[in-house]
Amino acid sequence: MSELVYGSYILVWPVLTLGVLAVICGAVIKDAVQARQSDRDMV
Amino acid sequence: MNESGFVQFSILTIMILLVGFYGGTYLLTLLIRKKEEDTSGFMVAGHNVGFGMGAASMTATWIWAASFYAAATSGYTYGVSGPIHYGLWGALMILFIYPFGRRFRKLAPNGHTLGELIHARHGSSSQLILAGSNILGSIISLMVNFTAAGALVSVLSPLSFQTGVLVAGVGVLSYTLTSGFRASVFTDFAQLVALMAITVVIIPAVLFAVGGPSVMVSGLENLTSEQADFFSVDAIMNQGAPFFVAVLAYAIGNQTISQRLFAVREKHIKRTFVTATLGYGAIVIGLGMIGLMALTVGVEPVNGNMNNLIPQMVSTYLPPVFVGLFFVLVIGALSSTADSDLSALSTIVMADIYGKNIAKNDPNPKTMLLVGRSTMIVATVAGLIFASFSLDILVMLVFVGALWGAIVFPVIVSCYWDRVTNAAFTWSVVIAMALFCIARFELLEMTGATVLFFEILASVGGAVVFGLMAFGFFGRAVGLGVGVVSGLILLVYATGFLRDYMVLTASLTAYGASAIVCTAMTLRSKERFDFDLIKQRVGSYDVPADKEENEPTMIPEGAH
Repeated sequence: MSELVYGSYILVWPVLTLGVLAVICGAVIKDAVQARQSDRDMV
Repeated sequence: MNESGFVQFSILTIMILLVGFYGGTYLLTLLIRKKEEDTSGFMVAGHNVGFGMGAASMTATWIWAASFYAAATSGYTYGVSGPIHYGLWGALMILFIYPFGRRFRKLAPNGHTLGELIHARHGSSSQLILAGSNILGSIISLMVNFTAAGALVSVLSPLSFQTGVLVAGVGVLSYTLTSGFRASVFTDFAQLVALMAITVVIIPAVLFAVGGPSVMVSGLENLTSEQADFFSVDAIMNQGAPFFVAVLAYAIGNQTISQRLFAVREKHIKRTFVTATLGYGAIVIGLGMIGLMALTVGVEPVNGNMNNLIPQMVSTYLPPVFVGLFFVLVIGALSSTADSDLSALSTIVMADIYGKNIAKNDPNPKTMLLVGRSTMIVATVAGLIFASFSLDILVMLVFVGALWGAIVFPVIVSCYWDRVTNAAFTWSVVIAMALFCIARFELLEMTGATVLFFEILASVGGAVVFGLMAFGFFGRAVGLGVGVVSGLILLVYATGFLRDYMVLTASLTAYGASAIVCTAMTLRSKERFDFDLIKQRVGSYDVPADKEENEPTMIPEGAH
């Protein structure tokens, strides 16, 4: 197995984690803004 | 470093970390605290959780302390494919439940637990089987998470195991007690952000600290041929297949999942659960890679204990600050799951036991909240006691897993097939459990016709698993087709083969036997159930503002 393949196989997971983290944070911020505008609780 | 090679924090440092974590989490919950909670908010956040919070909460809840340790153990034991065979199937548990979750939500839009839905469909005996399995599962989970806290504190500091257990238990209870599920969801977001940020940093840090991909590649010669094979049969049969079998069982049997299915806004269920699937898979498989790294560089786990692998790698190759981050990672993971378990337990006792069976659908909301909070306190004390005694829970785990497997088919078909009866549900679970015990503990000699009988049941069980998964996404025709084809393939190839994997055979037997008994009894039934009744029978327990407090809060059709 080449170094590139092996390195990618291990490092793809933190990259994917970062992507999901960005999606979740973006959605929560959007939700917080909407909640504030409509004067309701987030949870 | 101590004599075992782990970084040792002083008592002051570890207390700062623990008090900082639990104190910060408690302060967060003050932001959402209400003077008077209502039961709907306490149990399911008013069915109004958004996509971001929902996805964060589902991901954080499903990742418990054991996720990291078990994924790393799988990587160390089975090599290249090991982390995948742990994390992928765990992730799919979240994915495969959402199509059924949408059905549950459609049937009972105001529901709080799956047990309430089953009570409205069948009555108390079926509901209590489901609620009982949920309670056992959550208590086991609480105990495992508190145990993990005790173990971590005792390994990384001079504090005792019991101190770690106690701090975790009191810490989790303190921030969950007042606002219940709302606090659980809100803090899950913060905990997940920390957990993900640390994961993003710690995996590449370990990889490059051990020498980078080149050292890993040269270390591949340390692996056996099975460990080096991405399609290792050993990994599939011993790690992947048992997990694959458990995909639906864990999702159906776990109130922490169904609670979120009832809490997230209905239109967001799909993307919430798809995102959580990706998040869980990425974090757990990624941290499992540390086990694979340990294997390739030839690290031996301290005292032969696989749970030491990740702390050992972090302690050996990274500066102490990373060990501190790892500590927060594990505490965050176990706390987010433990607070969800407390919320799940309190909701089951509030709705399934008090609301449906004691108050007979006419509960007092204030008493109900008191019941919920008392349940949290009792559950925490029970979890602390069980964890402190380091009880062997293997047998309990085996039974709960089998019970969840046995209820999968009856629960799902009860939500789609109007002929399923309470007797079919109950007897299918009872008979499946009996047959499971015979196979799992080999109470009969597993030779000749006996083992063939169980292999046939297990093949049917495999067909049920594949069929239900296909049914969830593609509907009845595809589900039946996949079930029949996979059943025929399994009958041809698995008979004579599965007997070498009796643990797997026993698990599949639970699915197969319950499906056969439930179907046979249902086909003899002439009952027809009106699914619209569920919506009427499962409602809110809160008193509407325009209603007197002593009036019944539920629609009376719910009384069985």
